[in-house]
Amino acid sequence: MEYLTNLHENINKTARNNSDCPWVVLPEEIFFTISIIGVLENLLVLLAVIKNKNLQSPMYFFICSLAISDMLGSLYKILENILIMVKNMGYIQPGGSFETTTDDIIDSLFILSLLGSIFSLSMIATDRYITIFHALQYYSIVTMRRAIIVLTVIWMCCVGSGITMAIFSHHIPTVITFTSLFLLMLVFILCLYVHMFLLARSHTRKISALPRANMKGAITLTILLGVFIFCWAPFVLHVLLVVFCPNNPYCACYMSLFQVNGMLIMCNAVIDPFIYAFRSPELREAFRKMIFCNRYQ
Amino acid sequence: MSAQKSLSNRTSQQLTPSPDYTWEYEYYEIGPVSFEGLKAHKYSIVIGFWVGLAVFVIFMFFVLTLLTKTGAPHQDNAESLEKRFRMNSFVSDFGRPLEPDKVFSRQGTEESRSFFHCYINEVEHLDRAKASHQTTALDSDVQLQETMRNGGQSEEELNRLMKFDIPNFVNTDQNSSFGEDDLLISEPPIVLENKPVAQISHRVLD
Repeated sequence: MEYLTNLHENINKTARNNSDCPWVVLPEEIFFTISIIGVLENLLVLLAVIKNKNLQSPMYFFICSLAISDMLGSLYKILENILIMVKNMGYIQPGGSFETTTDDIIDSLFILSLLGSIFSLSMIATDRYITIFHALQYYSIVTMRRAIIVLTVIWMCCVGSGITMAIFSHHIPTVITFTSLFLLMLVFILCLYVHMFLLARSHTRKISALPRANMKGAITLTILLGVFIFCWAPFVLHVLLVVFCPNNPYCACYMSLFQVNGMLIMCNAVIDPFIYAFRSPELREAFRKMIFCNRYQ
Repeated sequence: MSAQKSLSNRTSQQLTPSPDYTWEYEYYEIGPVSFEGLKAHKYSIVIGFWVGLAVFVIFMFFVLTLLTKTGAPHQDNAESLEKRFRMNSFVSDFGRPLEPDKVFSRQGTEESRSFFHCYINEVEHLDRAKASHQTTALDSDVQLQETMRNGGQSEEELNRLMKFDIPNFVNTDQNSSFGEDDLLISEPPIVLENKPVAQISHRVLD
């Protein structure tokens, strides 16, 4: 977050003793590009859902919630880069109250995006689970009204937690809460999807003995869970190490890869539309209509 | 702890503003780390973490693929019976007449949900073809016929659904997946009569 970004700024100013593990610096252009792509993709998903009446169902609202979190994450990166550029140009007094408030706001945005992503993914998995295992009561369990209420409540909690965590960042309880939330959600999503997969396997095996379908099912599930784990776990481990062993040389070497870990989270924002939103043929159709109708007009 | 130090430093620095306040202090906390006397490679946490993550994901993938090849038959039978009963009532639900203006708006979502249930209907009818005196299947058949009559879904709509869906159904069977979205969102027929089901099931099997 911001203190580590400023750390990056100060590299040239202070002599580093630990030249053995140099801070891995990625060019800002890469971050900018990935963030802008992320914002555009997720904005497209949102527009497609807003413009089409037939896509306004709870399932697509949860996908929209994921798109919003990813968009907030990419926006955070863009705003942070702009702030750093403006600061380097000297328009903002470093250490002033304006800088601290904007840093705090941007931090809360980042944490909000992280929490929003985690909760959106769990809601999508829960919605799919209810679809399969409680199909009869699906329309009475997952009504539009309930979906909107659940989304509102969860986003309010995320905003509150985001602000709280930004204020109390690097306190141990905050970090432990964040890490345990991540692990809990991961286990939860894993269990839901594996259970769904088991059902799919047993039924497709009865209908036809096509091993290909099941293999593709395994691949899809691995991709869904693998992307989540690969993009998030490095950052979560980083946060843990910062709090628990900042002076350990091994930990310091891991922490030198902070920018790579941050970029993975940006990549997650870029990949998520492809594995969640654009897997739906209806949304792809709406998307095509949007582009081609605009071209004709 | 360095975190607490940094926070106290931050609050104190806010009273006397100066450039590079917390960050420099925090920086000194991390900065002078001695790299002497390391027993293992300095990037060992990095390497260990990424290798562990890759192993976990690959292990998960292999477990899933193994599950596709093997599996407990008794568990499947119990599950399938349960699901059949559930799907029967789901079909009766679905058979209720929809408001005409909402038919197509709900079509996507309902069909998206019903793909799975269609698999289960398929299973049902296939089994019935094999062992014609399964009571559960017969009951379901009777139920389905009833709901067909009561539901009043027009022949046209059914034909539309079937025409619309059969290519998708066959396609998903061959090409794609249990990708949850594919399964849940592509549009299968809820076929409620014997003849069309037999045709479809033959097509699927072929």
